[in-house]
Amino acid sequence: MLKNLIRMSVMAIGMMVMAAGAFAQTLTVGVRGGPESMDPHYSALGVHADAMKHVFDTLVWSGDNLQVEPGLAESWRPIDDTTWEFKLRKGVKFHDGSDFTAEDVKFSIERIPEVTGPTTLMIYVRRVKDVEIIDDHTIHIKTDGPAATLPNDFVRLFIVSSKAAKDYSTKETAAEGFNSGKATVGTGPYKYVSWEPKGDLVLERNDDYWRGKGAWEKVVRKEIPNDSSRLAALKAGQVDLVNYVSSADWLTLQADADTETYLADSVYVMNLQLDQREKTPQVYDLDGNVLEKNPLLDPKVREAIDLAIDRDIMVEVVLEGLGRPARQIMPEGFFGSSDNALKRVHDPEKAKALLAEAGFPNGFKMDLYCTSDRLPGDGAICQGLGQMFAKVGIQTDVNAITRSVYFPAQAKREYSAFMNGWGTLTGEASYTLGSLAHSNAPDLKLGAFNRTDYANPEVDKLLQAAGKELDEKTRRELYEQAMEKIMMDRVYIPLVNLQAVWAGNKGELNMVPRTDEDTLAFFITPAK
Amino acid sequence: MLVMSVIVFVGVYAIGNPLEVLIPPDAPQDVRDFIIARFGLDQPLWRQYLTFLVNVLQGDFGYSFVYNIPVLDLILSRLPATLELASFAVLGGAFIGVPLGVYAGYRPNASSSKAIMGLSILGFSVPSFWVGLILILTFAVSLGWLPASGRGDTVEIFGVGWSFLTLNGLSHMLLPGVNLSLFTLAMMIRLARAGTREIMLTDTVKFGRAAGLSESTILLRHVLKLISIPIVTVFGLELGTTLAFAVVTETIFSWPGLGKLIIDSITNLDRPVMVAYLILVALLFVTINLVIDLTYRLLDPRLGGRSA
Repeated sequence: MLKNLIRMSVMAIGMMVMAAGAFAQTLTVGVRGGPESMDPHYSALGVHADAMKHVFDTLVWSGDNLQVEPGLAESWRPIDDTTWEFKLRKGVKFHDGSDFTAEDVKFSIERIPEVTGPTTLMIYVRRVKDVEIIDDHTIHIKTDGPAATLPNDFVRLFIVSSKAAKDYSTKETAAEGFNSGKATVGTGPYKYVSWEPKGDLVLERNDDYWRGKGAWEKVVRKEIPNDSSRLAALKAGQVDLVNYVSSADWLTLQADADTETYLADSVYVMNLQLDQREKTPQVYDLDGNVLEKNPLLDPKVREAIDLAIDRDIMVEVVLEGLGRPARQIMPEGFFGSSDNALKRVHDPEKAKALLAEAGFPNGFKMDLYCTSDRLPGDGAICQGLGQMFAKVGIQTDVNAITRSVYFPAQAKREYSAFMNGWGTLTGEASYTLGSLAHSNAPDLKLGAFNRTDYANPEVDKLLQAAGKELDEKTRRELYEQAMEKIMMDRVYIPLVNLQAVWAGNKGELNMVPRTDEDTLAFFITPAK
Repeated sequence: MLVMSVIVFVGVYAIGNPLEVLIPPDAPQDVRDFIIARFGLDQPLWRQYLTFLVNVLQGDFGYSFVYNIPVLDLILSRLPATLELASFAVLGGAFIGVPLGVYAGYRPNASSSKAIMGLSILGFSVPSFWVGLILILTFAVSLGWLPASGRGDTVEIFGVGWSFLTLNGLSHMLLPGVNLSLFTLAMMIRLARAGTREIMLTDTVKFGRAAGLSESTILLRHVLKLISIPIVTVFGLELGTTLAFAVVTETIFSWPGLGKLIIDSITNLDRPVMVAYLILVALLFVTINLVIDLTYRLLDPRLGGRSA
């Protein structure tokens, strides 16, 4: 009798706890950066896409590790060298109840150049020449040449409703229509409620979402840019989850029993880049005069610089353990990164010997420029590099500066040795190697971010062949070979692969951290 | 203000093309050119400036590069948040600081006066970001009394939201308000104390005492009036500075005000916002100084007439 009573009361309590769990259906997330507009086609920024993925779907989906998966398109295949066929998902509805069809895809692609902001999404549709609607759920995309990576580009192609956005598709009207919610009609897991620049983004559940119903009735994304304040908001119970925990805070949280952290390798690798012009502005002899001939052209000098770097120290001391030593300029395991890429060693003695062989027994002087406010630890890594170079005899003047000064100056080619992070946002090599390592060739649309004058004809040939190769296996091999060669040349010297950390209250949430650092409410579920 | 706009324009131009920061790194040249032309940045500097000037004269400050909404809307939407926070902080600082300062000046040797002066030194010298974080840590994280960030509930009046009218909004405002007011508070204490000590030794006070006036009448009627001119001056300047550059506090407490807007615009080289903002700040300072000058005449009639 007593036993039964106890059992029943335990059950009752259990049910009450479950009921309480069911009521707690709002997820509040503290994010470092928010969207720039509610128009998904305005900006290509990562934080913008992160927010947009709640309201809109992309044609092709990128998974937790950036692998390409079906999204609004169920399947795709190349028909000939310049045509891709996409089969669209049937039965998908927009938030206003209208059907998703091929017309919306065509409309979305053609809308991008009309409404794009400076951080332009045009890079993701630049290969598209023409969009042909075959039937309601089939489209053919004509490209300006063989475009092997088109499905990868389309992971950022957000589909808006051609009806709702019809009148809001010029530069002047887009922000008004989307920020007010009139045109903010997507197929995504959450519906738009309200947003203000740098403020809160409020969303409510789309019960008819094609992937199924989300766990949260309401989602609020609060923009809290300061790292310490964001964490404080979590500890004060104002938010349930925060992204981008700093490495110092991460260390502290390890000892905190109330907090759970989620760790993921990020897409960002820190790279040192060495100018390859005949004459470079910031490398000097020991008296401070600019050297006539650029020593960075000498492979021995570049090898010495590489050998001077102690990547383990970089990770353990500078980043407090929040990173991995990198040996190639893309994260390991991404499409086109190679298992045979150069192994990096730390050998200051050999570095000194190489410098002597190259004609600098007493070293030389150089300036090193880096960003200091773009990615976690960038300024500190820069300082670390300076000290490591000094140990082998390269007297380095370290300049860790704000990105708004760094990037314009880098574009004007004012630097000789410089370091910044590069994120392989699409998860494959054409994005990274095509932009950085191909010689600058505007006619081929390659090498746009090659700010070193690096030109290796063999690499160029491999990259061009890979860009046209539609067979996946062959393409992978071509990129891997290119990667190996680029790493051997040591013009781009990888340092560390960064990691990103989220934090939430212990035992409250289930979440799989994503490599692209998105915090997607639909894929986060309550633990109870 | 014309000079101001030229300086900002040329300054940003000297840093480099604002779009270099914003255009995605892997954009090919044709996309780059398209975007640069679209935002009118392919024009020579003088023509960009001229276009800007013509538009401003028509009341159009242009569109933000980052948000693609009219700059004026963007600034006005943030103004109430900053206005109420700065007023709260500066008024609070003044109303608490002046009495404390007068007391400290009246009884310079009392231990409570020394404590007040110690407080003012702390207010001056401790960096406000540190105080902000300590306030959050104490009242939001450890004690859990007050929220750590954001603006809380707002009430709409004249189409804009104000926090100070709701309890929830006030609780959000308290920590950043205290944080921001510390400097003003310290300043007011020092000014009031110095002024009071000086005035207490003058004949005015001696004659007042001789005439049998009570100490409180002397302090309130005479001393306060005589020390008020420097206080009002500093009050005005503080109000202006706090309105325009409450950057640190707004960042730490995620207060969606103007300071945060301008610092974000600077990191993104969002030139239209920077130029418009600084022009408005110049206007603000000119207005405040005008109001202060008018207040002088009220406080001290001698300043009217001939010397004005």
